[in-house]
Amino acid sequence: MIECQDVEFRYPGSPFSLCVPDLRIAEGESVALVGPSGSGKTTLLHLIAGLLLPEWGSVSTAGARFSDMSPAERQRFRIATVGMVPQSFDLLDYLTVEENILLPYRVSRSLLLAEDAGERGRDLADRAGIGSLLGRRPERLSQGERQRVAICRGLVTRPRVVLADEPTGNLDPDNQDRSVSLLLDEATAIGATVLTITHEVELRKRFGKVIDIRDLRGIDRKGAAT
Amino acid sequence: MNWRGVWHLGSRYLSRNRWKTALLVSAFTLVWLMPVSVWIVIEEVERHMRARAVDTPLLLGRAGSPLELVFNGVYFTKPDVSTFPLRNLEAVREDRLAEAIPLYARFTTNGYRIVGTELDYFRFRDVAVAEGRQLARLGECVIGSRVARELNVKPGDFLISSPEKLFDLAGVYPLRMTVCGVLAPTGTADDKAVFVDLKTAWIIQGIGHGHDDAAALPDEQRLQAGQESGEENGIVLNASILEYNEITEENIDSFHFHGDLEDNPVTAAIVIPRGEKAQAMLKARLRRSIELQLIQPEHEMAELFATVFGVRRVVTALLAAIGTATLAMGGLVLLLSHRIRSSEFASLKRMGADFMTVRALVLFEAAFAVLASALLAGACLLILRSLAPAAIRWIVG
Repeated sequence: MIECQDVEFRYPGSPFSLCVPDLRIAEGESVALVGPSGSGKTTLLHLIAGLLLPEWGSVSTAGARFSDMSPAERQRFRIATVGMVPQSFDLLDYLTVEENILLPYRVSRSLLLAEDAGERGRDLADRAGIGSLLGRRPERLSQGERQRVAICRGLVTRPRVVLADEPTGNLDPDNQDRSVSLLLDEATAIGATVLTITHEVELRKRFGKVIDIRDLRGIDRKGAAT
Repeated sequence: MNWRGVWHLGSRYLSRNRWKTALLVSAFTLVWLMPVSVWIVIEEVERHMRARAVDTPLLLGRAGSPLELVFNGVYFTKPDVSTFPLRNLEAVREDRLAEAIPLYARFTTNGYRIVGTELDYFRFRDVAVAEGRQLARLGECVIGSRVARELNVKPGDFLISSPEKLFDLAGVYPLRMTVCGVLAPTGTADDKAVFVDLKTAWIIQGIGHGHDDAAALPDEQRLQAGQESGEENGIVLNASILEYNEITEENIDSFHFHGDLEDNPVTAAIVIPRGEKAQAMLKARLRRSIELQLIQPEHEMAELFATVFGVRRVVTALLAAIGTATLAMGGLVLLLSHRIRSSEFASLKRMGADFMTVRALVLFEAAFAVLASALLAGACLLILRSLAPAAIRWIVG
């Protein structure tokens, strides 16, 4: 489902480089990606989401290689295939909870906002315990509620791959547990592969596999350890 | 690009930030509206004032400021112009080169100008009496439609001329005038004027006067009577008690003028030449006069508006500068708004929004502010265009 082969990436003008010789995550698997800050976890997530393209090697997500696609194709593929859950929630404060959950349908040309999408959003919200908050604006929600809205938004399109960047980083233990449960239960329900960055040791146990990014990194083509 | 999504998100953003949007739209609306509305208003004022000036072929007056003469004789707004004797008018008439209508626009009643003239004036201006009747005897007045409306006066009511020398007990008393008619509305200075016969105007000034039988006066107007005054049959009148003069059926015959009527003053005269040749002759004759001037109000107003036109350009340039500054401020607001929303746009991109969708969202606010303000300004201008003539008639008269 997710494959990285001899991937090398570096930001222009930055000494940082990421080298992933081999990473394979099977379909339906739930993986916790761990590692110290600045080790390239978010960069790897963005490579897998097609937001960044590797300088070298190939990244394949749900059977498609981003480097073979045009930018427009990448966007269409990403919005239909990948669900993203950011640490900072990225909710739009001028939209209601329901509108935020259905946001992917608003920004994409390839997704049709039909009645069943609306129903799916409301069902998700109900299961996340925020069904009564659909008309509220994010500013009137707690941190935990906001994160659940962000998770619902990441899952509403029934993506085949869910990428979450420290989705519990801003939450208390109760809300961490609740959010991860929601993420994993819903992903399991739709058969999605989950790759989540997390620093929480306790939460790692909830995932089927834990990958430390330091174990992935290798030697780049210039011979430097990454 | 997802147009429906852009519309949805853009309209939600504007609705959520409605006060900021309203301020932005208002500022832009003023930028579009102000210069154009200044042009429209000045143009309408010019058109309205010129129309009356064009309808007044020539104006005779005492040598001095031609514009002051125009404002006195055409718009009745400048009372303190120098006067000239009626005799000069008779000279114009006798030559049969022109008709002449005297005007004595100097006094006021309740803030409205009293214009002494002759019946020919109403024929010349083509203004008819809508209610009541025309002037028939001394002491009567016909009033403009706006005077009637604002003072709630109708035929049979009275108006008292404003005292000219309030603290001078030896001065002339105000005249209580009977309203005999109300003129039809014209949308001109006539609506705001109170017309009296020329002789009535002279009586207001004190040139003509009547004599009351002191013995027949009511007691409250007498200070001492009979033997109390120390003189046999003598009566002492109290000037402070008499509030105004009034011309009645009983005392009208006592009113008279000392001296030659042709020596009495007028402030202006409308001169209607009997053709171009007569006009040229009259102008040539009066060009040599050091006491009188014969002017064409149309030309004087054209000169005035040429000056106004220059001022209008300066005002428009200033408004354009202010508008540019306002637009720059608006641009800054939009730029800052874009900066503030940069994380929002980044997350939309991460979510899968294409470049054009994000760009359209960025421009939505600016496009809405520009379009909405242009539409609002257009609507305001349409309203202004339709209301301006009536409003200008109301304000300028």
